[in-house]
Amino acid sequence: MTTKIIELGPHQLALEEPMYFRVRLEGDRVADLDVMPGQVHRGMEHLVMRRNLYQNITLLERLCSLCSNSHPSTFCTAVEEVAGIVIPPRAEYLRAVADEIKRIASHLFCCAVQANAIGEIPLFRRVMEIREIMQRAKEAIYGNRMDLAANVIGGVRYDLTPEAVAYLYQAMEDMKKPLDELYLQFANNPALMARMAWVGVLPREAAVECAVVGPVARACGIDYDVRKKSPYGAYDRLDFEVATQTAGDVRARNLVRLAEARQSVSLIEQCLAQLPAGPLCADTLPEIPAGEAIAKSEAPRGELMYYLRTDGSDFPVRLKWRVPSYMNWDALKVMLKGEPVANIPLIVNSIDPCIACTDR
Amino acid sequence: MHMQVEETAVEPVRLFRINTGSCNGCDVELAVTSAVTEFDVEQLGCRYTESAREADVVLITGPLTVRARDEVLRLYAATPRDKVTVAIGVCPVSGGVFRDSYAVDGPLERHLPVDVNVPGCPPRPQALLAGISEALAIREARRAGVEPSRKPKQGKRPNADNFPARGRLSFDAGACVDCRMCRHVCAAGAIRFQEGEDGVRLTLWHNSCVFCGLCCHYCPTGALSVTGDWRLDHPASDTFRQVERGEIPYAPCSGCGESIVPAAPQLLHAAFRRPNPEIEKLATLCPACRQVMSIGAPRR
Repeated sequence: MTTKIIELGPHQLALEEPMYFRVRLEGDRVADLDVMPGQVHRGMEHLVMRRNLYQNITLLERLCSLCSNSHPSTFCTAVEEVAGIVIPPRAEYLRAVADEIKRIASHLFCCAVQANAIGEIPLFRRVMEIREIMQRAKEAIYGNRMDLAANVIGGVRYDLTPEAVAYLYQAMEDMKKPLDELYLQFANNPALMARMAWVGVLPREAAVECAVVGPVARACGIDYDVRKKSPYGAYDRLDFEVATQTAGDVRARNLVRLAEARQSVSLIEQCLAQLPAGPLCADTLPEIPAGEAIAKSEAPRGELMYYLRTDGSDFPVRLKWRVPSYMNWDALKVMLKGEPVANIPLIVNSIDPCIACTDR
Repeated sequence: MHMQVEETAVEPVRLFRINTGSCNGCDVELAVTSAVTEFDVEQLGCRYTESAREADVVLITGPLTVRARDEVLRLYAATPRDKVTVAIGVCPVSGGVFRDSYAVDGPLERHLPVDVNVPGCPPRPQALLAGISEALAIREARRAGVEPSRKPKQGKRPNADNFPARGRLSFDAGACVDCRMCRHVCAAGAIRFQEGEDGVRLTLWHNSCVFCGLCCHYCPTGALSVTGDWRLDHPASDTFRQVERGEIPYAPCSGCGESIVPAAPQLLHAAFRRPNPEIEKLATLCPACRQVMSIGAPRR
């Protein structure tokens, strides 16, 4: 059997972001791979220390645009933890609404990109059209289709008027049927089964070993969701099941995502129904003392952790992250081993890799 | 937004994308223009290509990271000589929120010529299509050997539609009290204050602004506001003309005559809700004279 080393870039991988792999092939099968990261390294750790806590709300929202709301909301949670600020209940719910809207859009984008990667163009377009309902909702409520600008230290800076609540209820209603249909299609459609079932399998033991998180972990039967394990914000008052699958293949990962998107619809409806009255923000310009805190949340790709250290000034002394994609892309080595070259783009996209988050 | 480009109905104009290290916001929105019928670049007679050599229009996203630079320049060098280059989002133009990082090697113009900028963070698909249309007009003009027309956008340029998309910022100098909170919270360094002879001038550059609206949120008097005007695409030669500015004139303190920035009525309303004539006198006093008025002597 011949051994060959090939390099794959974003154009071959059908990725939106620049990610490069060096793949060692035995015959036409993948034997090993190296990720060559860094293309999206913008020096975030350096930048956050040169921006004050307010500037960092906006900067961190642009750490990655697909999980853009998770970053500022988790950052604000860490700042609030340091300062001992309790955010108003209405703000907790509004943060959850923003997070879940982003989750639906992010999960659907991932499913769409995979359909594109296997040449199912009509399905790609269909999923993107369904996702547009959420994109329109984001723009109508927050003023931007990607970066919501929903969070401030101490709460949120947007409100849902009764009209906006009615609009969002309608948008959620419009999502239900398409999401149910998509779930059935990704579960049972023979053409999709042929490409996605038993492909890119990550056994449960390997998943534990790689410490994968998010839908990648839940697709291997690991029942771990930060919203359930250590509820933050409004999540202890919301009712949902952690979506899990056991097969650990590409199909299972997508089924987890689609089940979660459907659950997010229900979570948003619960938030709207329970939405308490009251202020949006605890204090406009709170004093942030010296201290340190860890905050975590369930971003669309999995557990997101923030470590923040302050010294009583406006500038953070240290801000560090653990982003979900970091562990997840290590698992690609296991998923890709023995797979034909043609499956590489699909499997890579099936972990929903976020290069912007990981390279920072 | 239906624009017919006649000659290209036969052969589509090919768009080629280069990501120079973006947060993926612009790239995801560009993906929308290849997938969603309402925003499909097909309506402009375009289609996307995966081959640099086929590029008629190059769309560039991201702040240009040091790590991506060589690959970006290699790809760009492989594109044909007569392509039109479009910078998508504010990152390629100024670095946006990522400016001043050791890992960023922008602005893009230092490395290659740009023809059109499409500010936004990210620009909405309608803005992307408007920017691509502008690139097509430049391409047509170049092929015809004429100067690209400079005023296709005037006249029926849509200011805002019924969607409250965050667009151009508007500054009301009459309400500004020179507290500079806007500059303090601006992650992209888009706001500058300059002290002149007669007053303080605020300049906000829309090629650095990321339209997050945090300045407006923290502005105590509502002097800065976000408008729904999202049509910000412009020829790269106009890069530095995309500003919002205003001058807050100095006035003499009614107590001692020293030059001060008087307190705007909006500030008095924010502080006192219903200011009486006595409170209104405070507006034209300098801090020292205010202290004399309220506590009898300047505070040490």
